Amino acid sequence: MNFEWTEEEALFRLRLQDFLARNLPADWEAVAGHGPGSAELTEFSRLFCGRLADEGLLTPHWAKEIGGQGLDPWHQLILAEEMWAAGEPRGAQYMNVNWIGPTLIKYGTGEQQARYLPPIAAGDAIWCQGFSEPGSGSDLASLRTRATADGDVYRVSGQKIWTSYAGLAETCFLLCRTGDDRKRGISILLVPMDTPGITVRQIPSIIGEGDIHEVFFDDVVVPATARLGDEGQAWEIIAFSLTNERLGIPRYHLARTALDRAVGILKDQGEFVSETVRVEAANAAALCEAARLASYAIVSRRARGEAIGAESSSARFGTVMAERRVAEFIVEYLSESLGDAHPYLKMHHQRGIVAGIAAGAAEIQLNIIASDVLKLPREPR
Amino acid sequence: MDLSLNDDQIAILDTIDTLAKPYASPPMQDISFALTSEELDRELFDGGFLDIAFDPDLGAVSAALMIERLARLPYTVEAAASALIRPLIGADLPRPICLVEEGKGRRPVRFLRPGATMLVVGKAQVSAFTADADHIRIEDTLYGYPMATLVVDPAAAGAVPLDVSADELRTRWRVAIAAEGAGLLAAALASTAAHVTDRQQFGRPIATFQAVRHRLAEAQVRANGAYWLAMKAARTLDPGDAALAALHVQQSAGPAVYDFHQFLGAMGVTLEHPLHLWTYRLKALIGDLGGRGEQGIAAGAAIWG
Repeated sequence: MNFEWTEEEALFRLRLQDFLARNLPADWEAVAGHGPGSAELTEFSRLFCGRLADEGLLTPHWAKEIGGQGLDPWHQLILAEEMWAAGEPRGAQYMNVNWIGPTLIKYGTGEQQARYLPPIAAGDAIWCQGFSEPGSGSDLASLRTRATADGDVYRVSGQKIWTSYAGLAETCFLLCRTGDDRKRGISILLVPMDTPGITVRQIPSIIGEGDIHEVFFDDVVVPATARLGDEGQAWEIIAFSLTNERLGIPRYHLARTALDRAVGILKDQGEFVSETVRVEAANAAALCEAARLASYAIVSRRARGEAIGAESSSARFGTVMAERRVAEFIVEYLSESLGDAHPYLKMHHQRGIVAGIAAGAAEIQLNIIASDVLKLPREPR
Repeated sequence: MDLSLNDDQIAILDTIDTLAKPYASPPMQDISFALTSEELDRELFDGGFLDIAFDPDLGAVSAALMIERLARLPYTVEAAASALIRPLIGADLPRPICLVEEGKGRRPVRFLRPGATMLVVGKAQVSAFTADADHIRIEDTLYGYPMATLVVDPAAAGAVPLDVSADELRTRWRVAIAAEGAGLLAAALASTAAHVTDRQQFGRPIATFQAVRHRLAEAQVRANGAYWLAMKAARTLDPGDAALAALHVQQSAGPAVYDFHQFLGAMGVTLEHPLHLWTYRLKALIGDLGGRGEQGIAAGAAIWG
């Protein structure tokens, strides 16, 4: 059991920090403040991810045969930590390299891979995930958007909601119902967003412009070749995808970085003096570091090729606790941060609200911990 | 980075598990507040387990792993200070090793008894003396440890300064709190999980009620965090890491203890159920080294200056 980075891992982090220093513009924090789905950040992400790709830093954790360098999960983690703590200049494209690309690699046809992987690997692709519906959030398997087979096409009708990045995305990773079985009746279609019959409406949000949307599908014709995997295989595929997604966002690292910045500002202002404020800062740091190590424990197992189960829900909930405590600290002791005084802290606070919501509600994570870590009997349904 | 156990650590834990097997359950109809075993203590000492951190290859992480594992037993044994602090002060001082902060002599001290080594930890200096019967008053406490209080001033008891850094000793003390607390949290959680699985009300196990499930799941998150913070602090022996680890255990223990007893209902206030053997040890650790406020101040100073 050792907690030190190898020299190679430390150098990789330095390389990323150097890359960020060279490639983030002077007004970057203002750009980031528009939100990860904003037009400003999306446009910047194409430039930024292209440069990452040029330097082999966009998909270094992908296997060599599909254009990556085969770097281990520790490198993927370090990459995610540095990007997320910098305000995620990859914008919506973080999702591509974390799970959409790997999912296409595992389940896609040759044609799908040839079409979608090169733009992802070049840093010039925006995707959205058509998962949630007005009646189907945590209970995703109740989704009702229907794809009806009609010769060699599907006709899709229904509604998605709270869809991140939909306004600017070229492609939707769409979950839709092709059969009546709750889980085995769901399939995935890869749908170009400019297909006739798709209407996108932005929903104003706390987390920035262009981040969440309603997406309407009105008799949208999609070729059957756009189906990912078999009919009814969606549940298995997204289980694979979400395992990647849950580890994809190291929010504890942004939270800790924000905390350190807030403390630095308080010190400069002569306000990091009282025992109360110092103890509260330490409490927040303890939660950040607990969440960090819980996440590292999982990455360590992945790096050794071991299967990961419900532990990732535990790490995820620890991260929610950390994120909230840091946000509370900043509101209480450095309240000017929610104004224009400190854009980085404002951005942290803006994004922190979804820590327990995005990528699966925290209450679902608690249920998973109860059933699969503590082995408690399940709730009656 | 690699957080998996190495071969030595796996071997040590396997041996500890084998050795501890006879102590995995309290004796039938036991109603002890603090359950001790001289035999377990002797086996650990004679087997050299309390000396593993003297070996630089095994180090404090192996000791912390052992302490965490032993803390899961319903029996309490003075392993934490012996394994983590003796490498600083030498193996010759008689056990048990007992710790008190200078100026806090009114506080009951864990494992204090005639013949024990009493370490008095001041801001800049650590002194030690061997306690005898005249120095102490055995206390009938609500804690899950055998405890006694000093009734003499350490100087009058012949305390002599040790050539050790008080800061380093405090760091190891914090690691000891964290490792033992992590094991206690894990064991108390497991005991509670077993109860709510068996206990039926309204025709179903009470573990199926979300009000119970979610609070126990949060306790799991905290216990897991406590474990990893303790192990990292043992590895680095960094003052900031150690303070954060002890802080996390101390701030997690309070709410967790009340939840665990709450979920046992009236069974949780009996002595026939062993839950208190873990939770009432946690209560003692909550106040160690000034409690979470002092841990927070120490962490803040170490991290941010």
